[in-house]
Amino acid sequence: MLSNHVPDPRLVTAYAERRDGPLHHVNPWTKLGVVGALVLAVTVVDRAAVLAGLYAVVLLVYVTAGLPAGRLLRWYTVPMLFIVSVAGPLAFLEPGTPIGGALATPLGDVSVTVAGLVLFLELGFRSLTVVTFTLAAAMTTRYSDVAYVLGRVLPRPVDQVALLTYRFTFVMIETLEDLVKAAVARGGNLSEFWSNKRLYARILGMTMLSAIERAERLVKSMEARGYDGDLTLYGDVPRPPVHETLLVGGSYAAVLGYAAITTGVVL
Amino acid sequence: MAHIHLGEGSFPLWALALWTLIGTGLIGVVVYRIRKGGIETRQIALAGIAGAASFAVFQLNIPVWGGIHMNLTGLVGILAGPLLGALIALVVNIFSAALGHGAVGLLGANTLVNASEAVVAYYAFRTLVGLDWDVFPASTGAATLGLSAGAVLMGAIIVVSGVNGSALPRADLTVAVAGLVGLNLGVAVVEGLLTGFVVQFLASVRPDLVGLVDRLGRDASEVTA
Repeated sequence: MLSNHVPDPRLVTAYAERRDGPLHHVNPWTKLGVVGALVLAVTVVDRAAVLAGLYAVVLLVYVTAGLPAGRLLRWYTVPMLFIVSVAGPLAFLEPGTPIGGALATPLGDVSVTVAGLVLFLELGFRSLTVVTFTLAAAMTTRYSDVAYVLGRVLPRPVDQVALLTYRFTFVMIETLEDLVKAAVARGGNLSEFWSNKRLYARILGMTMLSAIERAERLVKSMEARGYDGDLTLYGDVPRPPVHETLLVGGSYAAVLGYAAITTGVVL
Repeated sequence: MAHIHLGEGSFPLWALALWTLIGTGLIGVVVYRIRKGGIETRQIALAGIAGAASFAVFQLNIPVWGGIHMNLTGLVGILAGPLLGALIALVVNIFSAALGHGAVGLLGANTLVNASEAVVAYYAFRTLVGLDWDVFPASTGAATLGLSAGAVLMGAIIVVSGVNGSALPRADLTVAVAGLVGLNLGVAVVEGLLTGFVVQFLASVRPDLVGLVDRLGRDASEVTA
């Protein structure tokens, strides 16, 4: 009943904790830096061929890290839906040379243009490049390291909320899954929404209620342990080694250099 | 929960910087107000676990129009209030972006959209309850209104920003985005209805959670009288 096209945080964390690929040994700060450089790169780069090359490199990194390619294709569903929902109409509306014939509609002739198709591909490569790398980073960074980085990057009290959210996401997914299983075991039918809306509401309501009651118990245990606005992190993520720092710095320099050349800032 | 339905790199650099700045400003104000007013352990725990529940609920596939997902942002706003609701929106967006839903570069824009949903839903719910509406229509209306506000803001952000690499005039882009906003408004109605049922359920078992203890007490006394 839970989606298989949305990455399950439990599976993602299991890959991070139990596998041991080359990307597992890369410093978490380095991965965070590379995510930033990729975001900047896909925003600045304006050529489909370069974007396709960047995506190919990231995909190669993902596969080399020993991560599941089949699942990745299913996980592309949500980002692709995002792309199709806006870039789909744009592919038809974008001015340019039509590809093939035009489709007659009550609103006039409609056709995909070359520029529209290129735009669609560019948006696809841009999105999938970063999605693939963030998933790879999430699947190769241990729970304690993610918690440490969150605690260092976010201001208080956002860090406290984020750490608790991260900690309890796994528990809440299991609670939700148990509630769905229980409803199905009692003859509940979740395949149709409108006739089962109250069942859905009860499942979601119980999930929220369970979350709130868990929060109330948590408050008691936090206060009993002398919580003073600081969730202590026992892990430590050291600074990245020199060669990784150079890699991240080089990535940003390459992106900025590309931007400078293509916009004519540097002649 | 509406989202900027574009992937990474879809906005030009200036727009990316603009929405990130505005989103950071919003969260800065929220953090300042929370720190100034003081925050209790109870609120931290509620925000953290409500964020986890919101993130977990996204895993459930709702079989409408081929399958939709929701984060119950309106419900989170009604339960946690506008300040914590905005923080939860940020945190859920961070985790969602890490799993390929949303975009790292659009965190600012998406946080603005979802925080607006939580804030509007909270104030609309309080207003409608103050006008003596029943729990179900008040929460359904408030959540639908909040989610609709988020959907419209999402469309406005895309139109203002433009799409990286597109030569389409703003007027034509508005037409393309209008369809997406319309679809999101439809989802807002479904999610609003579901939120109404959830709040009705919560009010029946824990009226204190939705701030209805006084009202239910008054209703009970009216019945008794």
